[in-house]
Amino acid sequence: MAEAPHTQTLDRLRSADEPAFGGKSASLGELLAGGIPVPPGFALSTSAFHAFVRESGLQRTIDDALSHMTIGDVDSVSGASRTISEAMRHAPIPTAVEEEIAARYADVAEAAGEPEPPVAVRSSAVGEDSEEATFAGQQETYLWVRGVGHVCDAVRDCWVSLFSPTAISYRARLGAAPEPAMGVTVQLMVDAGVSGVMFTCNPVSGDRSMIAINASWGLGLAVVGGEVTPDDLLVSKVTGEVVREHIHSKELEYVPDPGGRGAVRVDVPAERRDVRCLDEDAIAALVDVGRKVERYFGSAQDIEWAIARDASVPEGVYIVQSRPVTTTKPAVAEKPAGGDALSMVMATFGVKSAGGGQR
Amino acid sequence: MASTTPATGSFPSPYEVETLPGCEGWEEMYPYYGRFLESRREADEGRFWFWNSMHFPEPMPAFDVVCIDSPYQGIGSWQNRVFAVPPAMGIDWRVVNGYIYITGNPVLDPEKVAERAEVFQKRAGYYYENWDELYGKWRSNMEQLIKELSELEVPDLPEYEPDAVVSGEQNTSFYRVQDAYSRTLRMGDLMWQHHFELLLLGYGAYATLAEFCKANLPDIPDQHIAQMVAGIDVILFRPDQELRRLARLAIETGVDGAFRQGRTPEEIDAELATSEAGRAWLEELEKVKEPWFHMATGDGLYHFYRSWLDEPSIPYASLIGHIAALQAGQEIERPTEQIREERDRLANGYRELLDESAQATFDDLLNLSRKVFPYVEEHKFFCDYWFLTSWWNKIREFGALLARNGFLEDGEDVFHLTRHEVASALDELTLTWATGGKPAGPTHWPPIVARRKEILERFKEWNPPPALGTAPEKVMDPTLIMLWGITDERVRDWASQVEGGSSLNGAAASPGTIEGVARVVRSVDQIGDVREGEVLVCGSTSPAWAPIFSKISATVTDVGGVMSHAAIVCREYGLPAVVGTGRATATIKTGQRVRVDGTNGVVTILDGDGDG
Repeated sequence: MAEAPHTQTLDRLRSADEPAFGGKSASLGELLAGGIPVPPGFALSTSAFHAFVRESGLQRTIDDALSHMTIGDVDSVSGASRTISEAMRHAPIPTAVEEEIAARYADVAEAAGEPEPPVAVRSSAVGEDSEEATFAGQQETYLWVRGVGHVCDAVRDCWVSLFSPTAISYRARLGAAPEPAMGVTVQLMVDAGVSGVMFTCNPVSGDRSMIAINASWGLGLAVVGGEVTPDDLLVSKVTGEVVREHIHSKELEYVPDPGGRGAVRVDVPAERRDVRCLDEDAIAALVDVGRKVERYFGSAQDIEWAIARDASVPEGVYIVQSRPVTTTKPAVAEKPAGGDALSMVMATFGVKSAGGGQR
Repeated sequence: MASTTPATGSFPSPYEVETLPGCEGWEEMYPYYGRFLESRREADEGRFWFWNSMHFPEPMPAFDVVCIDSPYQGIGSWQNRVFAVPPAMGIDWRVVNGYIYITGNPVLDPEKVAERAEVFQKRAGYYYENWDELYGKWRSNMEQLIKELSELEVPDLPEYEPDAVVSGEQNTSFYRVQDAYSRTLRMGDLMWQHHFELLLLGYGAYATLAEFCKANLPDIPDQHIAQMVAGIDVILFRPDQELRRLARLAIETGVDGAFRQGRTPEEIDAELATSEAGRAWLEELEKVKEPWFHMATGDGLYHFYRSWLDEPSIPYASLIGHIAALQAGQEIERPTEQIREERDRLANGYRELLDESAQATFDDLLNLSRKVFPYVEEHKFFCDYWFLTSWWNKIREFGALLARNGFLEDGEDVFHLTRHEVASALDELTLTWATGGKPAGPTHWPPIVARRKEILERFKEWNPPPALGTAPEKVMDPTLIMLWGITDERVRDWASQVEGGSSLNGAAASPGTIEGVARVVRSVDQIGDVREGEVLVCGSTSPAWAPIFSKISATVTDVGGVMSHAAIVCREYGLPAVVGTGRATATIKTGQRVRVDGTNGVVTILDGDGDG
């Protein structure tokens, strides 16, 4: 693409692009750089959002609505949110941005081998506190979106989410709030037969020799949204053995809408509910890719993954998101991290160490 | 039959356990100090006694009590008096309805613990530092002792003393019989002293590595730690390795036709003797016998666990199996290269997951464990198998002497007398031999033996509770933890099982889950009953059980940790195993369907029926 100031293909992004493209897009770029299988796609920079606000003359509406709002007054904040959202939904996307999206989408279509391939459109938050921002509701996901028009609508909907009542309140609470901005990730959809998340450590015990996998049928929505109790596996990184497993009854799943757009929630047929949704090969492939991601980033990762329906593994395994594990407590507080082997053996026999206190 | 009256703690009081009907007077088989005496009721009820079903799964014959006293003498000497392990002295034992319960003697005074710590550090440090040299010395001591034992002659009592007595070259037969008996007993004691010289330190190094791994990687499976340490070319595997070699040789030289299912060793030997190739094979077999056929058919602590030399049907059954497998085109070799690779893969895999500072400690602990572990694995062959099976045979010679003189109906009956009663019988025998008087022994001993045999048979029907007395607040004794796997968790599990229930917890010894029909096997002579695909439920296993692991689908044991024989073999065969359940043989009945979850260490009884 000759001139594309507002977009970039995912594989060209690196972590340094986070300020412009947001954390999600940047980390997908890093994954691709690390040779991790990530569905192809592209990202919109915050400049696209800024162009949208500037060219449609929305800034005045936004400033007006926010200046008349009383922080802490729920009705007032909701009113401002409504005013801004309405205005944004009716504003056109700048032609230059729309043309870039169309061209990038055409590339995805070519790679996918179909004219209007389904894509996932997600917000990609910007800023050091993006984790917390995510928590504040600035994360939107639109699945199974087809056609340039609908992609543009979904992109706009992501932008709109910047002005949800929660997001407005959150920024207001921060005081000297930065100008709101957001990147967007557009990625080819994987029609997942099974999907879920994995931690490249046991998040409960902190054991780094384990990979903890949660898996359920269908698209990842059900697991991420906590709508099902997924199969819960603990797998040894070293041998690939399943060390512990709890198979739960997985009663619902998300599948692509038969109409072609969006995802729908359906009941899982009885015969599939109580069986483990991952076979040995799939587990091995996940462990493999999980270790690769962890090695690339150099720290324990919390990874969203999907396995394409009816695909064989490892070819069908895709990573759709990865971020550092932040919630894990460091493995065992008073662990004997190192020391003289012989005095440790002595301690086994009840010889108290010089520092006192028997292990 | 066990009383379920709770004692002060969670287990039945040993004093409330009733004598089985028809077994009145059983106590006289055992020394007074091994009984729960009224005079020390208060103290003994307050202690935690667990059934040592790992070493004593069956009721104890009177003579076999030697194999309680001597080992605990050995543990106590080394742990308490030589190394002075700071928090623990030795092990006390008691007998209830023929079954052996043990407990540790803790050191509670902190000053005493500190004092012992100094002794321990100095002496244990010396051992670890000079391990290879000390182990080398140990081996030559054991080989010397075994040689002495095999050369020890049990003399007969002749009509007239030989000329050698007249010439002064030889003592009188009275003296020689008495001397041989006391030397035999002392050699047994000495073996048990050797047995424990290095064992505790060997286990201690391993236990430290395990604890270190778990502190850093809390979910690491026990079997992975064991696999990282386990030896590859261990003496224990040699006997079966030799059988596999002989099986291949039989096929190569075309004599495999002699090894047909259902034939006795004598029949096979007879056919082999008819051809030159067959005779050559038999010659090769003779070379293998010393020492590899000193393999025991059981874990060695009972007189009835014989060696392969005594019961050739056991190695011959293996030979027939190996030959049939080879003929069917199967691989019978232990995949040592694969085991070695797996061992390195595990060690490297876990190592690279540790912090840099921890990696150095891991290396040191792993190296120390690997250095000391050959002893842990190999002492069994020298002590428990080779020496002990030979030693029991020496006792049999005294039994034969007593039987020839009418004191016993059968030489084997000697094992139903205590070692002191045998001494007493020999006293009378040699006395009346000398005096020419009429001995009372022939009328005195046989009814006693008959009564005791009857009592032991009845004892076999009893299911001993896993523990008696008061549950400890915390298990402090490193030996109990390392050798028997008596952890706080295990004690709690047992306590909860006193309530009963349809599932049992144990150590996850070999991963995988299967459902199958249970076969409860109480002793090695019942292993012939096991059918293809059944789940083996037993007290514990030993190398003698080897032939059945290719038949069964999983193993559940009462006692043992992840380094127990059953655990090691199941990992090799890829069978799920749950060990140390406490009372699988008491809870599960033959014929019941069970689920064995070797990954999580849980056994579930799926239905209530069984013919047991």
